Amino acid sequence: MKTRRTTIIIFLLPSILFLSLFVIYPMLYNFYISLFKWKVVRIESFIGLDNYVKLLNNPQFHRAFINNLIWILIHVPTTTVLGLLLAVLLKRVKGSYIIKSVIFLGMVIPQIVVGIMLLFMFDSDAGVINGLLRSLNGFLTSVGLTEFSFPIRSWTAYPDTALPALIIGSIWIWTGFAVVVYSAGLEGIPKDLYDAAAVDGASPIKTFWHITIPMLRPATIVVVTMTLIWVLKIFDIVYVATRGGPGGATNVMAYMMYEQGFVFYKWGIAAAIATIFTVIILAFSVYLVRSMVRR
Amino acid sequence: MKSTTAGLLAVVLLVIGIIGGYFAGVSTAPAAETVTVTQTVEGAGMATTVTKTVTKTVQAPGEVQELTVYALWSGVEEENFKMALGAFSMKTGIKINYVSQPELRDVVTTQLAAGTSEADVIIAPWPTWIKDELGAAGLLEDVTDIVNKVGRDKFPSAYLDVVSENGKFYAVPFKAWAKPGFWYNKQVFDELGLKPPTTWDEFMNVLDTLKAAGITPIASGDGVGWPLSDLVEAFIIGLGGPELQLKLINHEVAWTDPQVREIFGRIQQLLKGGYFDEAREWTIQIDRLMERKVGIYFMGNWINLMLQERGYRPGIDYDVFAFPGTGGIVAGGDWAFIPKFAKNKEAARMLLEFLAGAEAQTIMVKLKGFLATNKDVPKEAYDAADRNIVDMLGTLAVLPDLDDSTPSEFQRLFWDKLKELWANPDALDSVLAELEQKASEVIG
Repeated sequence: MKTRRTTIIIFLLPSILFLSLFVIYPMLYNFYISLFKWKVVRIESFIGLDNYVKLLNNPQFHRAFINNLIWILIHVPTTTVLGLLLAVLLKRVKGSYIIKSVIFLGMVIPQIVVGIMLLFMFDSDAGVINGLLRSLNGFLTSVGLTEFSFPIRSWTAYPDTALPALIIGSIWIWTGFAVVVYSAGLEGIPKDLYDAAAVDGASPIKTFWHITIPMLRPATIVVVTMTLIWVLKIFDIVYVATRGGPGGATNVMAYMMYEQGFVFYKWGIAAAIATIFTVIILAFSVYLVRSMVRR
Repeated sequence: MKSTTAGLLAVVLLVIGIIGGYFAGVSTAPAAETVTVTQTVEGAGMATTVTKTVTKTVQAPGEVQELTVYALWSGVEEENFKMALGAFSMKTGIKINYVSQPELRDVVTTQLAAGTSEADVIIAPWPTWIKDELGAAGLLEDVTDIVNKVGRDKFPSAYLDVVSENGKFYAVPFKAWAKPGFWYNKQVFDELGLKPPTTWDEFMNVLDTLKAAGITPIASGDGVGWPLSDLVEAFIIGLGGPELQLKLINHEVAWTDPQVREIFGRIQQLLKGGYFDEAREWTIQIDRLMERKVGIYFMGNWINLMLQERGYRPGIDYDVFAFPGTGGIVAGGDWAFIPKFAKNKEAARMLLEFLAGAEAQTIMVKLKGFLATNKDVPKEAYDAADRNIVDMLGTLAVLPDLDDSTPSEFQRLFWDKLKELWANPDALDSVLAELEQKASEVIG
């Protein structure tokens, strides 16, 4: 028994060492940084939890937090449903791996590039989105519905359209992940269940509702949790496309953290945002791990 | 097993041999010698040729030094700067690794906060950052001796004062730049019978004529935020006078003050009237200006270089006019400094001395889009467009850039709020109220 325990400890030791060095220590050190007031690169004074209090009373932080929430509320359900539907539809299509690869392509494009592409896609002159809207407006005019025409403008330059434009972009690049996870999940559902349902005369919709969806629960947990975490820490697209603007319309927590630290040198405030971030993401991660272990 | 040990032994001996050989080479290297060479530098895609005789110090093999230089310049500005760096390398044998660093401020501050620096020499246009943030924190080398060696009287005092504290210099002046006014497509103006306006009424007439011809009158540059800020500053100085710009920088007048509100009210009216183009990436607007999509474009003197790079001729295809009736011109510069953690400080000091000198700055001036800070650069070195700007600097009140002279927190908000105003002109009062709040908070 003693030998077994020693073996376990020896095998765990490298992981514990690396985790302590690269995860736990930085987390604790970050919390330590958040307890001070900084002047450019030097600590000015110990202020306890004052940075957290300031942050919770800061309207900019409220807005960033709300923007994150809006992003989550639109992005997570859309990606999950889109991913599920595409995976189910493509299951019976011959050569579907080509389509899946194309959908997955968004995942392998660096987000910085995606941010630049979004700027072009939503540009009023050269953008594909405005090109489509122009065609649509042409059709509306031809049928006498000019008053329903869409405004042609650079979406990222206006407070009311900038956030939706970025969310659409993030959905585009993340849907590939959901499709791949659900496709793998579908492969794991025993065919006998569908055969039994067919024998009982279940319609395709009932089969989908009562067999496919419940059997895909583990895949859904992975998709939802991973997407949530990804959306929470979204930064690159915002940084490249809008820098949190215009008028703070696209500011999110990760961007605010960067700006407070690397632009304003308020390292204490930036560290406080990072700590809050860590707590939120940790909660989701714990839920994910527990759900998977329970399985 | 035996063969493995022998193999390992051979590898170890080989490594020892290489290291030993390297150090032997260093110890037996001949002393440095000085020769004279002639270097010819040609402008990228331009007819400019700079021929000069330089003294080259040939370094001994083990003494080859390399400097890393950070600056914001990319594209043709980078190419031109590399020519000046090339002249320095020819002269000293010191290799230069130039890094175009668009996020210069963030990267440098972060490195210095970590107690390190990749760059030996950094060139930046923010004197407040250099002196009050990095210099005051003890993160920069004292370069007073270099300024004295080149000669304090060689530079306008304004370019020295902003980077010195109690007689100690943190940086040397290299480049000067100015934001002279609205650049315009001369052929469009000729075709429409327009002349550079000198009064507000004439200005409005120009805008109305351009609009009637189907050209969006004023280009709005976007990007990181400064182009809109420059445009707004032109209105502040032109309509409120140079002193209003200075008062706003120091927050001696409120952003909600009726005088400021009135100036912004005019901008608001122009925005609502469709006189401004949608805010677009600032270099795209250069092309739109020459493609007759926009009529006039407020921009700094560096656009002269960019237009010529595109094949346009100053005075024939394009020209510039100051904001009608303005009494001031925004000008600034780029300063070179050495971070405390630079690895090669001696060579860095040599480069700073070179950049502050007339030799390097004459090379840059001849390549266009560059105004010298060193008074020894001959006026003949400038082309017509740049010389025109130098003359403007002599007749108008030279003012610091508003957003560059305020703390980062205000600057970022100013940029963002202007973008918001451009998207929603009705938000004017809330924009000014937020600017006032932030100015009270961070400027005092």
